[in-house]
Amino acid sequence: MKLLTYIWRNVTRNKIRASLTVLSIAFSLALMTILYGYLAMQTVALDEAEKHNRLATLNNLGFASPLPIAIVDKISKIEGVVAATPFSWFGGSYKSQQMAFAQFGVEPKVAFDVFDEYKIPAEQVQAFKDDRQGCVADRRLAEQMGWKLGDRIPIEGTIYPVSLNLNLVGLYEAPTNTGMILFNWNSLDDQLRANFEGFAGNAGMIYTKCAVADEVAIISETIDREFANSENSTRTRTEAAFQKMFAEMMGDVQAYIRYISLAVVFALALVAATAMSMSMRERTTEIAVLKAIGFSGLRVLLLVLGESTLIAVLGGILGIAGGLASLQLFSNVPIAAQLFPVPVLSLVGTWMLGLVAVSAFIGFISGLVPAVLAAQLSVVNGLRRVI
Amino acid sequence: MIPLKYNLRSLSVRWATTLLTAVAIGIVVFASVLTFGMIDGIEHALTASGDELDLIIMRKGSTDEMSSNVSQANARDLATLDGVELGSDGKPLASREFITIALKPRRNGKGTANVIVRGLDHVGRQLRTNYKIVEGRDLVPGVNEVITSRSIANRFEDLGLGEKFDINNVPFTVVGYFEAGGSSAESEVWADLRDLTSAQRFDGAVSVVNLRATDATSRQNIVDRVQDDDQFKLKAISEAAYYEDQKASAVAIKVVAYIIALFLTVGAMFAASNTMYAAVASRGREIGTLRALGFSRRTILTSFMLESLVLCMFGGILGCLATIPLNGLSGGTSIAFSEITFNFRFGFKVLAQGMVLAIAMGFIGGLFPALRAVRAQIIDALRQR
Repeated sequence: MKLLTYIWRNVTRNKIRASLTVLSIAFSLALMTILYGYLAMQTVALDEAEKHNRLATLNNLGFASPLPIAIVDKISKIEGVVAATPFSWFGGSYKSQQMAFAQFGVEPKVAFDVFDEYKIPAEQVQAFKDDRQGCVADRRLAEQMGWKLGDRIPIEGTIYPVSLNLNLVGLYEAPTNTGMILFNWNSLDDQLRANFEGFAGNAGMIYTKCAVADEVAIISETIDREFANSENSTRTRTEAAFQKMFAEMMGDVQAYIRYISLAVVFALALVAATAMSMSMRERTTEIAVLKAIGFSGLRVLLLVLGESTLIAVLGGILGIAGGLASLQLFSNVPIAAQLFPVPVLSLVGTWMLGLVAVSAFIGFISGLVPAVLAAQLSVVNGLRRVI
Repeated sequence: MIPLKYNLRSLSVRWATTLLTAVAIGIVVFASVLTFGMIDGIEHALTASGDELDLIIMRKGSTDEMSSNVSQANARDLATLDGVELGSDGKPLASREFITIALKPRRNGKGTANVIVRGLDHVGRQLRTNYKIVEGRDLVPGVNEVITSRSIANRFEDLGLGEKFDINNVPFTVVGYFEAGGSSAESEVWADLRDLTSAQRFDGAVSVVNLRATDATSRQNIVDRVQDDDQFKLKAISEAAYYEDQKASAVAIKVVAYIIALFLTVGAMFAASNTMYAAVASRGREIGTLRALGFSRRTILTSFMLESLVLCMFGGILGCLATIPLNGLSGGTSIAFSEITFNFRFGFKVLAQGMVLAIAMGFIGGLFPALRAVRAQIIDALRQR
């Protein structure tokens, strides 16, 4: 305990140096918190998706190829399926802003059976079923956009040569921030059928809700087998796997985040080592005195390592807190909000302990050389040295 | 003016500290330059190295090639418009193109991504400057052959030379690799227009028409003609403007890159500051002597600032040099749902950005230590041990 007090005194005696080192580590750890926080967010979102026994079906060729609407009915009849809905990406622009939020065409009759964890008042579901121009929005999205029930939401098509003039009839709350609006797939299809026959009858994607978790894999196989030899063969994944596919599309960028982090850790170890060896050089005489009054080499070693580790961990904790605060700040910026499916606080997890460990490691490594030098210092030489 | 030699010698006396700090700064500059180089590479990969006079004609209201469609009749009419350049064979330089995406697994099990598959008329090759086949041969229309770039072939299953892959149960064979000056075309797979549309069961479908005008005036004429004609319901935009828009989709990555650089730079600033504080603290008597000799406060301030700048620029140069072996390293990522491949580019602009960061670290990091150096009274400074 006494040793700890002494270490703390040593940390605080050159306040400028200690705080500069702490800040330097804090800023870099804040950056790592932001980067890893982003990766952690995807994991949390995936875990959430895992819970709901849903499957996503696409045309085997990918997004650009159509999936006939008739398939939805066939899937609904498979045993163990609760409900299936088309899930058609509209990708339109709102107030001439492209990709302001996601819009999906769904079948109102079953949409909230498929997404059964979304909370929405029953009369709003009924209104969604009754109004062909109706749409429902994530409550958080509506708050950001300043929409109220009954508002008109005009959306101009970019993929499809038609526009939607939607009527906001409901607000739902989902466990994650979905940031999307759901509209009646049939109203889109009506317009396409009237004007652009070639685009009509396309479900886009199909979301299927399975009754029990154990059957999800079997149902997925059943769907793909059923359509394997048709003109439009399908590819079905669990919702989690489907979302993971999007995360994987980032490709090398993800690996790149890890490389950057590695470089940062290395640079930091150098920074902290420089500061530590500067401190130790100034204290050569002092250490000689410590040894003269009977401190063992091991004790001196622990003293120095303790100091460097303490400084780095302080910086680490400060940095992680700062990184979380920055994430919270980003998540409140309207355009960036759709990158945050889950609230920042739910990200708090063991990966943060990992970052603390990283900072402790940086401190330990940086103190190693000065500590060994100090432990091996001969009393006579140390006392003789004049700085 | 205190000679710069004084600072250089001071730095080399404490060579271990100097080197450690410089290497730390170098790593930060290296990481930032790497990030900027990636952005530059991605932006380059999103542009077409096309001619000034090239136009893309697409459906009014669509924002990218994939969501556009042009009727067969219109596509024919467009090729015969006045002011369309003629190729060496006397045919108009107008290429009908059909664009689709295919979900393909990456090699080494790194997930899947969408690859752009473009079916185009043979004349389309003349519209891509620097287009050339670098391995294998060009495709023969009618027998389901495709060509692609080497970087796409390296990244995706079944897209290597001689390999076969299916589009809608129709097998296509890769017969050659092409280059197109590192532009967006190098992220695509090219097929013959008719082969691709019939495999996709969209016979006769055309997404966009690419054409080249004879000169600036006729280019404007074509733009106006297409715009005003209600028959067409199309718009003509210059290729340069189109790709400038596509770049906007890389903006998120750009913001992330700048945030990375910002945090790292501020962190390194503290490191530089630390080293300079130590340098100032251990030289109290020296500074007092300089003052006693008659050097003004401003001269000493400048001298220490210079020392800090030299230290950081040394680190900056180390960082920039470290990127040299990575020049041309290729990577891939998905932007706006389709895969692009890019090469890291460390040009003058990118390296200059890195050096600007180093200079900022030296300047801001050195300011406070330098101020401390000149604040002391001469007598007190001389009295220091």
